[in-house]
Amino acid sequence: MNQPYESTILRFIAKNFLVPLMIVFAVYVLIHGESSPGGGFQAGAIFASAIILVRLIGGNTQTKGLKSLPMPLLIVVASTGLGIYVVTGILAQLFGANYLDYAAIPLQWFNEFAGENRTNRAMGMWIIELGVFLGVASVLVIIFDLLSKDPKND
Amino acid sequence: MKWLTFTFLTFVLILLLWATSDLPSRANPQSPANVHLSPEFTKLTETEIHVPNIVSAILADFRGYDTLGETFVIFTAGLAVLLVLGSHGRKKKDPRKK
Repeated sequence: MNQPYESTILRFIAKNFLVPLMIVFAVYVLIHGESSPGGGFQAGAIFASAIILVRLIGGNTQTKGLKSLPMPLLIVVASTGLGIYVVTGILAQLFGANYLDYAAIPLQWFNEFAGENRTNRAMGMWIIELGVFLGVASVLVIIFDLLSKDPKND
Repeated sequence: MKWLTFTFLTFVLILLLWATSDLPSRANPQSPANVHLSPEFTKLTETEIHVPNIVSAILADFRGYDTLGETFVIFTAGLAVLLVLGSHGRKKKDPRKK
């Protein structure tokens, strides 16, 4: 995985067609998690596979775009995802309900802002799915990066 | 000792298989899980959450603690790989080697 593999099929089809499609599909699965099969775990797995595919195509030598996500940033994103989940639960407690009881969090302003009619619980579900998405996607990339790194160039 | 383990595990296997025959069939609509829990979740998803996907409602709302634990498990897995394979602390040893 140190040298990039020169293949027209990989370079053209995967890079220009598959990876953008996977990223868009991951966002679709995340946003439509409440109305169709999907959710944070699935969206995170699809997004991480897109990034891992880029790294498999490019090898370790290229340092641009999605290939060069630094490890500290990934760790921060993973912690942020978990933090969003935990803080949402604590927020519900601050508004006087049980832990992770999203009905108490005042999110009605979003309905007026976006012109939608969603309950607080649906909004809370979406927020924690976003946290799960960030956590799963970055943890999968962290594991792949660490397993595939070259110990000599440490 | 090997035969003792084998006998014990065979005994446990027979015990578990015997207990399985007492469980309700998975598709049985009269089993306790389908009589009490499923109608409750279906009704509450419609009246409380207003979300079309019952699976997501159960996963993220009714069983929010469970999903929180799952997220912690994945985060801990990443953290463990980072601690074992990460290069923290190894840089100090390298100059001594050279």
